Amino acid sequence: MKHRHPTNWRGYVFVAPATIYLAVFALVPMLLAGWMSLHRWHLLKDDHPFVGVANYLTLARDPFFRNTIGNTLLYAACAVPLGVLTSLAVALLVARQLRGVGLFRTLFYIPAVSSQVALSMVWIWILLPGEQGLINFCLDRLNAWLGTGIPTDTNFLGRPGWAMAALVAMSLWVGLGPRMVIFLAGLHAIPEPLYEAAALDGCNARQRFWYITLPQLAPTTLFVVVTTTIAAFQLFTPVYMMTKGGPRRTTDVVLYHIFNEAWQKFEVGMASAQSYVLFAIILLAAAFQFWIMRRGLREEAVQ
Amino acid sequence: MRVIAVVSLVSAVVLLAILSRATRGRAASPPQIVLRVANWGSPAVESSFMTLEREIRGEFERQHSGVRVQFEQIPGFGQYAPKLLMMHVSGSVPDVVALDASSAAVFINNGVVCDLAPFIARDPEFHLADYFEKVVQIFRRDERVYSIPLDFTPMMLFFNRKLFDAAGVPYPQRGWTWNDFLHTAQMLTTPPDQPGAAPRQYGMHFMNVMPFWVLWLWTNGGDVLDTEGRRATGHFDGPRSVEAVQFLTDLMLKYHVAPTIDEGKAAGVDLFRAGRAAMDVKGHWMMIDYRADGLEFGVVELPTNTGRPSTVIYAAGLSIMSKAQHPDLAWEYIKFMTSRDVQIRRVASGLAISSNRQAAARYAGTPVEDAFIAAVEYARAPWGATVERYPVVEGLGEEMMEDLLRSRAALGVAVELHHAAELIDAALTEP
Amino acid sequence: MKRALLTSVQYLLLAAIAVTTITPFIWMFFTSLHPPNAQIPTMATLFRPAGWHFENFTYVLTFAELPVWRFAVNSFVVTTGVVLFQLTLCALAAFAFARLHFRGRDTLFFVFLLTMVIPAQVLIVPLFTLVQRMGLLDTYAGLIIPYPYLSTAFGTFLLRQYFIGIPRALDDAARLDGCGDWRILWHVILPSSKPALATLAAFAFIWTWCDFYWPLLATSSTTMRTLEVGLSVFSDAYGGTRWPLQMAAAVIVLVPVLAVFLVMQRFFIRGAVVSGLKG
Repeated sequence: MKHRHPTNWRGYVFVAPATIYLAVFALVPMLLAGWMSLHRWHLLKDDHPFVGVANYLTLARDPFFRNTIGNTLLYAACAVPLGVLTSLAVALLVARQLRGVGLFRTLFYIPAVSSQVALSMVWIWILLPGEQGLINFCLDRLNAWLGTGIPTDTNFLGRPGWAMAALVAMSLWVGLGPRMVIFLAGLHAIPEPLYEAAALDGCNARQRFWYITLPQLAPTTLFVVVTTTIAAFQLFTPVYMMTKGGPRRTTDVVLYHIFNEAWQKFEVGMASAQSYVLFAIILLAAAFQFWIMRRGLREEAVQ
Repeated sequence: MRVIAVVSLVSAVVLLAILSRATRGRAASPPQIVLRVANWGSPAVESSFMTLEREIRGEFERQHSGVRVQFEQIPGFGQYAPKLLMMHVSGSVPDVVALDASSAAVFINNGVVCDLAPFIARDPEFHLADYFEKVVQIFRRDERVYSIPLDFTPMMLFFNRKLFDAAGVPYPQRGWTWNDFLHTAQMLTTPPDQPGAAPRQYGMHFMNVMPFWVLWLWTNGGDVLDTEGRRATGHFDGPRSVEAVQFLTDLMLKYHVAPTIDEGKAAGVDLFRAGRAAMDVKGHWMMIDYRADGLEFGVVELPTNTGRPSTVIYAAGLSIMSKAQHPDLAWEYIKFMTSRDVQIRRVASGLAISSNRQAAARYAGTPVEDAFIAAVEYARAPWGATVERYPVVEGLGEEMMEDLLRSRAALGVAVELHHAAELIDAALTEP
Repeated sequence: MKRALLTSVQYLLLAAIAVTTITPFIWMFFTSLHPPNAQIPTMATLFRPAGWHFENFTYVLTFAELPVWRFAVNSFVVTTGVVLFQLTLCALAAFAFARLHFRGRDTLFFVFLLTMVIPAQVLIVPLFTLVQRMGLLDTYAGLIIPYPYLSTAFGTFLLRQYFIGIPRALDDAARLDGCGDWRILWHVILPSSKPALATLAAFAFIWTWCDFYWPLLATSSTTMRTLEVGLSVFSDAYGGTRWPLQMAAAVIVLVPVLAVFLVMQRFFIRGAVVSGLKG
């Protein structure tokens, strides 16, 4: 029931700063991006002719942009499932422990709050070829221990497929903490009586996991998947610091491509068009994931 | 209590902001004027040349009391131009900037640097004729002069006199052809000790650096782009260019007179410097290293397949940013740095040829130096001086060359060049 | 018996992951103490450098052309500025949405929530152009005010939820004492909202301190760079050389934010969880 209150004009005063702020710095740029994308707009040139959808048409034909979209989707397709699964697995591990949960939680969270620039610099070291790079060093020790002959001079950041793999690995390492924490909260929110009832019914651990834990975690999982996907589309700093678009443009992801377009080539009109395309992709991806998970939930409910 | 904490925190922040703003890249209160001079390079690198430059700047400060020269180096490979342009966009720019001919186009075409013609006209002490016209021309558009060149180098072919003598091969002469070159290279390549191993000595050293190998297209009458500098298809993949690239790859893959990429990497050293390759295409600056290594070298124009020689001039100049705070003082600085006496000191190490004729004449007289200066006659400006996205073109060209040299390109030179030309077109198209 | 074995295996796994997480930081810290011109240390030589060079830190902090201390000051000013500014905006608006009644309130709140949908990347290009036109590039104002990553709407949402949970009895008591809306906010609501405010402040601090993209574009003079960007310029300047110095700079960048995180982690983690479950 709605109570009718007299309008308190002070409400407008209090809300004004934030509203003006959002209008100027969120809504206006949003519309300005659309406006700019319809022009040929170069930051250094004064002439900004209107070109309609020409930018978008060019993008559709542009081999470089297609490559960019492909890279971004590939990255998301690898980083999201792997990221979600690994953090879920770790959360399950941690949830059982009574001791040291806080310590692990803090430890795993540290990469997520650290300077991405500093982390990228360290990861360059991790990926170096030869015994100086951590990965190759470990491979070398593994070779000594197991007698295998795995090559230890792979320059991960310099080889087309490996560079992308390295970026995916880094995203797993960084994102583990926050995702795990959210899964932990979701796990703790599952009511104990559910498990007890299932145990009474004779369910074993695996069945309890599949039929109680997972379905109960569905909303949390959806949230993690969506946020991880959005984060995957925002990949920038490691590319800028480590690969600059990668060997042969294999790590040229959308945000880096936009950066290049806007602030190396200074074509902000085209960059705005690319931003809108990115926006559309993110919305589609999020909507798609929602739809899939909702369908999955509904089917579960029916069962 | 809390209020006090919050208030002091806020005032600390505000205080810091004010203090920091006061020292932000602007001129401090008079009488000191800060002249900002920017160059590429890293502030972390120390060399005798840097020390020399610092002394020279000190002299300028002594001649202009009340002026402090703030020298800023902008690091990052390929980042000099974008970072400088961002400064221009933000409105806070250095006064004097060094311009590299290979990336000058974007500055010149968009009015980022001033037209210096009015400065020249107003100044009775300065004479543009004092400088090599060809080099000045690189930074000129009709009557507008955008940069006063500091120094330059044409690209020439270096040869190792000792290796030639040992093989009994006569030194290359002006007017020599590609056939002469191939023949010479073959005579200077010694076979390997064991079959299948790398030759002990190569006739020619090759690096996949497009600023160096584009010259082979030119000496065959081919080119990367059309005369306007807009399209690559039809030119980069034209018959003359294909022939040139084929010739280059054959040097490595068919005639084995030059090291393959892997052989070069395995050697780990500059083979020409190490005396294991008899010829190389390089610029003036390498002579510092060659002399330090005790290499006896000669210099000759590149071999040509058209009957006429061709090469490129790579140059650096000094310009005034259009948003500079102290343009007149900047002009004084440029005059000073390009003057004969300062130039004589600057290029004493042999880093490049001074663009100031009289200063260059001071070092002329040796066959090597004269060969360089003679090249100015027929040399061309680099594409980067007129085409805004040329660095991208070079990146794509080098990728293609690497594919060809690694025999990854099963389809052959013509097809690869065509593919690269299409990518270049896509990269050059506005926007 | 089987249970104990299982538990130890789990602990081992977790310990292994913990080691993987920590190793890069340990390497970073130890490398920063190596002699400046040393080669990149391998795991074997990491703990045995030729002398412990703590002066790397002072060198990096006072390096004339790339003054890291200056970057730190900039980061501090910008981050504090952003935190205070955003907290103010959000608190004012959240109070209005939670406690005050005015026409269009709920519609406006819905519009606020809608803006959360816009990803920051879409805004950056036009925002840059906008800020350039305002003449605010390369200034503190340009860094602090248009901060695209902190969804003001999100902060408002967070605070509003919390404010709603504060019992109105407190408000009413204050009103009886003659307090107007402003004093209620300042003396009643805010003091009771310390956890939410701390959460928001923690989020904002860490996000802003670690932000790279916007400061990269909004600053061009060396003296205006923040720590993140300054560190990348530092890395550019040294290239593949002098890793100990680069790592010293990296450590300097990491320490403040890690300190804040360790102190505020309760709030930070709880905030992440709250937003997760609500979402």
